[in-house]
Formats: sequence, C-alpha cells, structure tokens
Amino acid sequence: MTDDRLDLPQGTLDLLILKALSLEPMHGWAISERLHQVSNATVQIPQGSLYPALHRLERRGWIKAEWGTSDNNRKAKYYALTAAGRKQLASDADEWARLTAAVALILRMD
Amino acid sequence: MITELWADVRYRLRALFRRDDLERELDQELSFHVDRATAKYVALGLPADAARRRATIEFGGIENTKEESRDRRGTALLESVVADLRYTLRGLRAHPGFTAGVVLTLALGIGANAAMFGVLDRMLFRTPAYLRDAGDINRVYFAHTADRQRYTQGWTELGRYFDLRSTAHSVSTIVGFSTWHLAIGDGEATREVPVAGVSGEYFGLFDARPALGRFFNTQEDSSPQGTNVAVLGHAYWQSVLGGRPDVLGQALHIGRLTYTVIGVTPRNFVGLDQDEVPAVYLPLMSAAWNLRPEDHRRDFHWGFLGLAAVRAPGVTRDAAQSELSHAFLVSSLGEQPGNPEHVHRVEAGHLAVVLGPVQRDRGPEAGPEASVVQWVTGMALIVLLIACANVANLLLARALTRRREIALRLALGVSRGRLARQLLTESLVLAGLGGIAGLAIAQWGGATIRVLFLPGATGGNILNDTRTLAVTLVATLAAALATGLAPLFQALRSDVAQGLSAGARDSGARSTRLRPALLVLQAALSVVLLVGAGWFVRSLWNVRRLHLGYDVDPVMLVTLNRRGVALTPAEEIALQNRVADAARSMPGIRSASPAATIPFWSFEGRYLKVAGIDSVDLLGDFILQIGDTDYFRTIGTPIVRGRGFEPADRAGAPLVTVVSAGMARALWPGQDPLGKCIRINADTVPCTTVVGVVEDQHLHSFQNPREYTYYIPLAQYADPVNMILVRVPGDAAEALEPVRRRLQTLMPGTSYVTTTPLRSMVDPRMQSWRFGATMFVAFGGLALLLAAVGLYSVIAYGVEQRRREIGVRLALGARQEQVVRLVLRGALRLVGGGVLLGSAIAIVGGRWVAGLLFNEPATDPVVFGGVAFVLVTVAIAATTVPALAAARVDPNVTLRAD
Repeated sequence: MTDDRLDLPQGTLDLLILKALSLEPMHGWAISERLHQVSNATVQIPQGSLYPALHRLERRGWIKAEWGTSDNNRKAKYYALTAAGRKQLASDADEWARLTAAVALILRMD
Repeated sequence: MITELWADVRYRLRALFRRDDLERELDQELSFHVDRATAKYVALGLPADAARRRATIEFGGIENTKEESRDRRGTALLESVVADLRYTLRGLRAHPGFTAGVVLTLALGIGANAAMFGVLDRMLFRTPAYLRDAGDINRVYFAHTADRQRYTQGWTELGRYFDLRSTAHSVSTIVGFSTWHLAIGDGEATREVPVAGVSGEYFGLFDARPALGRFFNTQEDSSPQGTNVAVLGHAYWQSVLGGRPDVLGQALHIGRLTYTVIGVTPRNFVGLDQDEVPAVYLPLMSAAWNLRPEDHRRDFHWGFLGLAAVRAPGVTRDAAQSELSHAFLVSSLGEQPGNPEHVHRVEAGHLAVVLGPVQRDRGPEAGPEASVVQWVTGMALIVLLIACANVANLLLARALTRRREIALRLALGVSRGRLARQLLTESLVLAGLGGIAGLAIAQWGGATIRVLFLPGATGGNILNDTRTLAVTLVATLAAALATGLAPLFQALRSDVAQGLSAGARDSGARSTRLRPALLVLQAALSVVLLVGAGWFVRSLWNVRRLHLGYDVDPVMLVTLNRRGVALTPAEEIALQNRVADAARSMPGIRSASPAATIPFWSFEGRYLKVAGIDSVDLLGDFILQIGDTDYFRTIGTPIVRGRGFEPADRAGAPLVTVVSAGMARALWPGQDPLGKCIRINADTVPCTTVVGVVEDQHLHSFQNPREYTYYIPLAQYADPVNMILVRVPGDAAEALEPVRRRLQTLMPGTSYVTTTPLRSMVDPRMQSWRFGATMFVAFGGLALLLAAVGLYSVIAYGVEQRRREIGVRLALGARQEQVVRLVLRGALRLVGGGVLLGSAIAIVGGRWVAGLLFNEPATDPVVFGGVAFVLVTVAIAATTVPALAAARVDPNVTLRAD
C-alpha cells in the first residue's frame, strides 16, 4: 500500500516465522504483529500467505501446533518451535547471514 | 531426516482421515486472526463494521487462503481421487443392473484369460519347480530319416545313454529318466503308481533339499543293477503314507523287488516331467533291473529313456548339438560292428541329435495339445476384446445420456483434466471389480480346464500364483483403458453450448459411427470363435465316427505282472493261457484272447520278406498282432475273406497268417492274397501262408493310411505275451473289478493282474480335438452371448434415440411392420458386415489351424453356413424386442414430449 514497505524475498518468510517463534510460542496473529513491529513496519506479511506457510512448516515437523487460550480468553492455535525447527533456524539464519554479507560485498564493488 | 519424514506422513494421514477436524480448526484459526485485526482497527477508532471490512480486505481472500492451506497439507490429489471414487461408487450403486452387467461381462473376459494363461504358462513357459539353470539344460531328441520321412523322438535305449555319457564333452552331465506304472505294496493293498527311474545325477539338477532323509547318488545308480533305495514323492508320502517321518528305512515292495526308503522329495517337486508326478523315484539302473534283469550297457533294443543334457560352461546349443550328433552316429555304427548292411542303414538315416527346451511341449515332440492351448488362449483374448467392446458400447451409450450433465459441469468450471480423471476412475473401478470377479471365475473354471488339459498337474490355486495374478492385473488395466478411452474422448470433445442445448436426445454423428463399428467387430470376432468351434466339433465328430476296425467300449486289457516267482517261458505261456481260459469261462464274458499289440499303447513288429518286393518296410508300417482262435471275435474285427484262426493252427502245423485288407492291397495289388507267402524274421525261414483277410485296424494312428496289420496264431508264436483282451457284453469300464478279482486268484506268488478298459487307451489320442471342441464351444458361446447382449443394447438404445423419428413415421402413416423391418434391417446390416469380416479372418487364419483338424477342411461350407445362420438367428432374436418396442411407439405421446 505504502511505498516504504518491502516485499519479502522468496523463502524468507519461513525464516522470519521460525525466528519469531524461537522466542516463545505464538498464534498466527501475534506472529504477524510481531514481525510488523520488529521490522519498524517495513515488513508487511501478506496475511494470506502466513497460514499456508505455517501449515507447511508444521508438515515438515519444524513447528508444532497446540490449541491454547489467548490473552482475551479466546481459543487460539499456538505454534511452537520443535527441536528440528530450532536446528533448521540456526542453519537458515547462518546461510542468510553469509548470503547477505556476500551480496553486500558484491554491491560495494567499484 | 527420519523424524521429518515421520512428521510429514503423520500430518498427511491426519489431513486425510481427520479432514473435518482440520477444516474446523482452519476456520477457527482464520476467524481468530480476522477478529484480532478488527479489534485492532476498532481500537484505532474505526467503527466496528468498517474495521471488520478493512481486516477482511487486508487478509485478502479467506477462501483462497483456505484452499492454499489445504494444498499445503499435500493431500489435494488424494482427496480428489477419493472424491472421484465416492462419486463413481455412488453412480454405480444407483444403476445396479448396469453395474452388474458390466462387471460380469468383464469378469468373463478377464477370467477366461486368467484361466487360460495358467494352463499355457504351465505347459509352455514355466520351468519345472526347483530346476536350476534351466537355460543350460536341454531335453535330448534323436532324429533319423526312414522311409523318406524324418522322425524325431524323445526317447532312446540304455546302450545309447551309456555311449553318449562316455563320449560327450560339450555337456557336463547327461541324465536319463523314465516313468513306469509299477505295483507298490502287497496283497490287497497292491496299487499301480507312477514310478520314476532316474540317473544318480538327476537330483543335482535341482535346488531342492529332501523334505526328509536324502536323495540317492551316482554310486547307488551303478551298472548293472544299482542299489535298491527309493525316494518318495512328497504327495505320495503325504496321501498314502500319512506323511509319517518314520518311513525312512522302511522296506517297500516295488515291482519285482524290495526297496529301502531313504528320502522324500520337497513339496511340489515334479522332476523334469510336469504332467505325471512320480510317487517314487528309483535309481535308473535299479529300475531297469527291476523291469528286465539283464546288463543293459549294450542294450540298443529297449527304447524308453528320456534324456536331459546340461551344457558345459560356455558351450552353445549348436556346438553341443553337433558334438552329440556325432556321438549318436558313432554309437549307432558301433551297434553292429562289421555289418555293412547296418552301416549303410545308419548312414542313410542321417542321424542327428536335437537339443530342445526342458518343457516337452515346446520341443519337437510337442503334442497337438500345446498348439490347441495356444489357439484357445488366443480365443480367450478375443473373448476379452468382445467383452471390452461391449462395455465400451454401454459406457458410450451412458456418456451420451450424460452429455447434458457433463456439459453443465464443464460450464461450471470443472477442468477437463479433472473430468477425464473421473471418467477413467469409473472404468478403472468397473474393470477392477471385473478383475476380482474374473479371478473367482478363473479359480473355479480354471480347475475344470486344468483337469481337461493337464490331468496330472499338481497345485493350481491361482491366488498363490503371482504370474497369473500379474497377467490378471494387466488384463484388468488393459480392459479399463480399452473401455474407458472411447467415452472419455467423446466427453472431452463435447461442446459445452451444444451439449447444454441439445440435451440427451440427439447423438453426435461421430459416435453413431463408432458404436456400429464396435458392433461389426464384435460380430466378426464371434464368427471367428464360432467357426473355430465348428471346426473342432466336426473334427471330434469325425474322429469319433472313424471306423477303427475294432470295438473299443466292450473290450478291456488284462495285464499279467509277474513278481516274486521265477517262471520259464513255457510256464509263463501256460499261465497266460490259463488266465485267458478262466476269463472266457466267467459268466457274462463273451470271449478272450491273448494279444501282443494293444491299440495306441504297445506294438510288435518283425522283419518281413515277400517274394518280388525289395524292401517291404518302404511300403508302410507293418504291425504284428498275435491272437488265438477267439481274437477276431474278441476285438470285433470282421473277417473279409478266407478264415480266422482255428484250433488246427497249432505249433508244428503249417505256419499261417491273416493280413489286413490294406496290407493285401499293398503287397499284392490286383491279386488274390489267399495262399500267398510271407517270410517273418528272415529271408530263409519257411513260408507263412496267408489264409484270411480282415478289415483294416487303426492301432497306431487315426490318419496313417499306410498302417498295415498281420496276425499270427498264438500257438505258433514262441514267446509269452502276458496281455489278454477280454470282451464283456456291456461297457468294459464297469466290469474291471470282478474280472480282476477272479483272475488274481490264478496268479502265483505276489504276481498280480491289472485291468484297463481299451477306451482309456484310445481316448487320450482324441484329447486335442476334445480340448479344442470343448474350449472353442465354451468361448464361442460366450462370445455369441456377449455379442447378442451388445447388439440388443445398441439397437434398444438406437430405438430410444429415434423414438421421435419413429413417432413421425407412424404419424405419417407408416405401418407397424414397416417400423419393425426398419429396425431389423439396421441390425442385420451390422451383423451381415460382421459375418463377412469374421469369415474372411477365419478363412485366412484357417490355414494355420488346418493341421490340428481331423478330416475337416478349414473351408468347410457347413461350418461357415452354420455359423452365419446361428449369428443371424441370434441377431434377429436380440433385435426383436427393441423392434417391437419401436412399433408400439405412440406418436401422440412421443411428439408431445418436447
């Protein structure tokens, strides 16, 4: 909508979700809000792709889902990182750091 | 990795089986999100409904998200398959008559193929159970030329066996094997069972461990008489000896000798011969000694032994064949060293060894049964084709009536791929049900067929037979494709707008061409099958009616088996005559006579010399028969000229003979045979004078016109024959036991008699025509039934489609008969086309079948005319019902329907 928002590169949504969940189990809405806030409103999660992504991660066994009660006393589906997910996050984050460093190096080339 | 995989599987399973739960959870999850977003905008000051609207828009298409989430579950394809299955089953349940008809039709087609494949596989393709390296093992055949004809036979003599074994280097092993029927047991419990004599190396050809004990070895099979040890067949051990483990070491009376049981073969072991499973295996030399106690190392007279050769590593079949052929020649020359006449005869024989596959029915000695089985299997395929054409027709008809539904679904956005998948699901389900029912049919019908074709075969539960199951699966899938493709293309071609507006009534031009074409094909294939049935039925009829020159049904053969007593030839002859006299004096017995030649079973022959003829042998096959004064009455051969044997024809009296009419014509054309002289055994012996001429007998083959018989009175024949023909007033098969029991009382020691009806020796020679006739009639009838059903359904459907047109015709003054004729004419045109096409195929194919028929030309007009008549009659019957329905169309009702 506004121009200062960034579109997420392919594949980064999974990494961001795993990172968000590494702090504490959260429901979908909270993940979306957290990513929005932390990125100073520059990252806008396309809401429609958040849930398919969550289900994909769940299928791969990186996160697990559990029904819980939210702060306003409603039933909500909470997602939490599994051990496999934690490992995946570590390797993905590492890969991401090396990739961005490399890209930054190349961009600085004169 | 494993945990990931497991998570994936668990997730998908849950997605598949707890689908509703997941849907509800997804709903809740998404609405929770939207609620929270709404609450956020409300907190920011938006009115409630505007906040919800904004939240919903921002979320961007709830249904889309749901669909995508579902896809992420990875079950979309599976779910649609499940949905297709549900849809199909619902549709099939709604039309039980249609479903049952289609499934039964396919089941008959698939079942016929599964059953026939089982038989074909057993006869031609499958190697014997447990056999190791079947590719390196060959059955050995011996070819020679005599009488300007090439003969190939699968048996030889023990002398040859020893010669080949000692000289051949291209083969690592040569084993001999043969099966006899010998008596096992003592007293009343004595039974004749198949007993195999096999070389010491025989069991080494198999990857088989004895179920009990051990097999015998080469030391126990040494010349001249081997060791008296026996290995029991598994089935015999189970059924007769109760499968007891303590049989090892037991003594068993087999034939003349007593054997010690040393082992039991594993279950389903059949050796190299699959048709008759031996009850007991003996070392070859011991079995030979049992039957003829003499040294057989130079025996070139007693031909009975089958051979199998294992080629040495790296030796081709051709190389082994030529080396063995040379060894065969050397061995034959060595039979009578220094006899120039013998050398000349051997060289003129062009001796050769032929190495064939292990399965006898694939070798040069294959009986006509093997070809008949192949033809019948081809016929089973045709039945399946007809069944598929029928089902395709029915499905096409249904697809036409469903045109509006299909057009509607296409208009609603169902993709054509999805639709195709669904239509294919339907034919797959139908074919699958047909396949399952077909297996049931094959299991039941196959047992019947197997008894017919492979009387001695063991096992046969096709549900345990992976090869037959695989073929059934392939046939099922092929049937699904064959029946599903036509309606599929028709549906996919259909134009949405046209389909919606035209509705179910009019059918497209293209489909009206396809369905009659299928019908013509069906009729043509039915004609082919029925013509085949006609050929074989007429052959069987011809061979049954064939005048054999003697009676079969009232005659039985009594065989005297000497055991446990030593008799001189004179004593043996006395015993044989005593038994014959006893048989003659039994109440109800008409007559009896010892005989040396038994039709289609055992033959005698002697060297013959006739003045004025260089080589009598070249004129045909001369069979010697021995009989006493009762012989011609016993077997029922009429005397044409002169006399039969009389009591005066005793030993020492002038030698006399009776000849067959054909023999008289062949030896003395245009002359009176009575009083002519033939010399038997050598040129120098005194004359044997012809005193009578009898009708020709077919003793060796049904078809050989150069088969001649001459007869010598028993009293003037030096050797015992130990076989007696007995004639009873009724059917010999019903008098076997009383005769056996009466004559058994005359037997000394543990000797015994066996009784066999002559019918059981003649009948197996008619088997191939009986198989052919039975199977072709069965499949031809099946094809005709299917074709009739197909014709009926197509015509009835056509009448339904043309109801409006017929109504118009009737309204315009057409009479009812004219309508009936209109419908009949359409049907008969199709069937007529089928008859022509099918007859053409049958005439072309007939060239290859002609050799299997008996006195039956493959162009027999009776067969073709009969088949055409049957087909047209059936067509008229199948068309009459819908034609009458057409005539009863009420124009008042029909024309107002639209």
